[in-house]
Amino acid sequence: MGGIWSYFSGLFGTKERRILILGLDGAGKTTILYRLQVGEVVTTIPTIGFNVETVQFKNLKFQVWDLGGQTSIRPYWRCYYSNTDAIIYVVDSMDRERMGISKQELFSMLEEDELRKAVLVIFANKQDIEGAMTPSEVANALGLTAIKHKYQIFKTSAIKGEGLNEAMEWTANTLTQQK
Amino acid sequence: MTDSKYFTTTKKGEIFELKSELQSEKREKKKEAVKKVIASMTVGKDVSALFPDVVNCIQTDNLELKKLVYLYLMNYAKSQPDMAILAVNTFVKDCEDSNPLIRALAVRTMGCIRVDKIIDYLCQPLRNCLKDEDPYVRKTAAVCVAKLYDINAQLVEDQGFLDLLRDMLSDSNPMVVANAVAAISEILESSPTAQQVLEMNASTINKLLTALNECTEWGQVFILDAISNYTPKDDKEAQSICERVTPRLAHANAAVVLSAVKVIMKFMEMLDATSEYVLTLVKKLAPPLVTLLSAEAEIQYVALRNINLIVQKRSDILKNEMKVFFVKYNDPIYVKLEKLDIMIRLTSQANIAQVLAELKEYATEVDVDFVRKSVRAIGRCAIKVEPAAEKCVSTLLDLIQTKVNYVVQEAIVVIKDIFRKYPNKYESIIATLCENLDTLDEPEARASMIWIIGEYAERIDNADELLESFLEGFQDENSQVQLQLLTAIVKLFLKRPTDTQELVQQVLSLATQDSDNPDLRDRGYIYWRLLSTDPAAAKEVVLAEKPLISEETDLIEPTLLDELICHISSLASVYHKPPNSFVEGRQGGLRRVLPPKSSSYRKHTRR
Repeated sequence: MGGIWSYFSGLFGTKERRILILGLDGAGKTTILYRLQVGEVVTTIPTIGFNVETVQFKNLKFQVWDLGGQTSIRPYWRCYYSNTDAIIYVVDSMDRERMGISKQELFSMLEEDELRKAVLVIFANKQDIEGAMTPSEVANALGLTAIKHKYQIFKTSAIKGEGLNEAMEWTANTLTQQK
Repeated sequence: MTDSKYFTTTKKGEIFELKSELQSEKREKKKEAVKKVIASMTVGKDVSALFPDVVNCIQTDNLELKKLVYLYLMNYAKSQPDMAILAVNTFVKDCEDSNPLIRALAVRTMGCIRVDKIIDYLCQPLRNCLKDEDPYVRKTAAVCVAKLYDINAQLVEDQGFLDLLRDMLSDSNPMVVANAVAAISEILESSPTAQQVLEMNASTINKLLTALNECTEWGQVFILDAISNYTPKDDKEAQSICERVTPRLAHANAAVVLSAVKVIMKFMEMLDATSEYVLTLVKKLAPPLVTLLSAEAEIQYVALRNINLIVQKRSDILKNEMKVFFVKYNDPIYVKLEKLDIMIRLTSQANIAQVLAELKEYATEVDVDFVRKSVRAIGRCAIKVEPAAEKCVSTLLDLIQTKVNYVVQEAIVVIKDIFRKYPNKYESIIATLCENLDTLDEPEARASMIWIIGEYAERIDNADELLESFLEGFQDENSQVQLQLLTAIVKLFLKRPTDTQELVQQVLSLATQDSDNPDLRDRGYIYWRLLSTDPAAAKEVVLAEKPLISEETDLIEPTLLDELICHISSLASVYHKPPNSFVEGRQGGLRRVLPPKSSSYRKHTRR
């Protein structure tokens, strides 16, 4: 059933899905955005503000917003919540110290009414580095079991391009099934 | 139901509608929405509430949309300083865009956003743009440095932008050079501390002169203004700069011409005034100034105000051009008055006949201010050109015969000055003057007439009667008239003591007992004591020989004139006031002075 629907939406679907990439500063959000868009690793600088790009995945079009993760910019995340279909929440799996802050930001975000229908995809990023927390450790640290949203956690490495396709596959499927 | 219903509305309002349109997925609809927002902004509606939504449209490959959003940002970033940070990443990206138009647009907008919180982030993009391969981007970035300096001078200095700016003076593109010069001039004006980094030297001036011939007219103005602030090391350098600037005098743009005139006027100071070169230079300056007077009235006025200064500094430049300053019937009044002023300054024995014929014509026009000034001008000509004095006086007498009230009054005021300049020469006309006594109602004219009566009391038979008639309304007179009346009666008494004793006592008691004016009382007491203790001494004091009055009474004081010459082609030269008297925050600024005279073999230390 879902397959047929995606087939039609692929033919006629002009509607872009809106995805936000959020997470603390230095988690790798911008790198992920451009890995998804152009398939390459670009050199990035801290994003003061935002990036927005259109990403084609299979036959779906996503409008992907990558928002800066600095403390000063996090308050403005809410300006971008409305009409969001999916949230990619990126966690630096090496950053054990700030796991708590990351959890806090995640939960306060999910309380927002505008996001209640959004799908949540968590990227346990930087898995290429030795000594990174495993996805289940990250899931525990973030307390994912308490989340009511539809969610999934993935093991990713933006630098090596690992895990991104699986995650996008899952997101695309979940979004098409929702309709 | 309560009245609160009036405050609730079912309509969500325009802002809400715009908000949803801005979030639309269709590009066209989005662009339409941003256009609507800009339209509201320009008519003065507050659309700052849409800040995040508009800023979210900023990342687009549509140049038109991007420009609109940037326009919005310039307007509202200041009212939303915290959220302005959302735009930073876009600036950074746009400054690296492959299209130079977008890079320049980004750097220009950055300069216009005066938000302290985000400027730290903008330094790196600015630095890149200053070294951009495209001259259009570099020239835009140069101006941005000056703007940034205004917000945070320390940051600009720490980041080394001043050095980059100075290096741009050697840029291969003349427009970049011109903008760098403009930025440097602006920075130096607000902060003398930048002086050591940005000071010009002979080699940079040389580069500027090379760029001068190739850049746009406004660029030329910037460059010429910057050159005029430079002090050449000797007269040879001054002369070579003058030589290279002289062709600019033929430019069609009045601003370029005046700026070139400024440079030459300044540097001519350093040259030997008798040299062949200076003489030809003086000849070259006249035609461009004359040409300026065929432009629109407003430009004419600016030109005339500047010419007024130039004529006071070097009257020889325009001495043969009197005719262009003759007033045309359709000149606006401000141009007429200014031309009149310059006419008088240029009057000499050679052209006095022509001038006088003109002035006589002007004195019969309808505009009161202009007529008054013309009558005064005739008097000034009489004082300035001695051989023509008699002709001037007879012209004034003709005018008095017209019986036009204000003409008569002005004429009497200037005749008083003529009497002072040429004593014992024209007193025969006093009788004619006395005929018009009753028509005088202005204090200055009354005071002048009273002075004349007192001064020549011995020749006017009924002087005592005339002065007595003024005395009747003593209390109501202007203090200027009261003082003159007091002095005139005392003079009369000293000349004809027998029959004027009563009169003098009357005026002394009016002045000392019935007046609140301390000047009048003091003068009254002094006369009283002088007269009562030693009449002979009183005579020596009151009837003392007076010094002759000088030719020009309204010349600008020389140091001020020199300073104003340095500001030719600016507001200061139009106001005839130094900039720090009308520009706020310029008190600490440098006063400009003309360069010192020098000779070829004597080297001057620079300031």
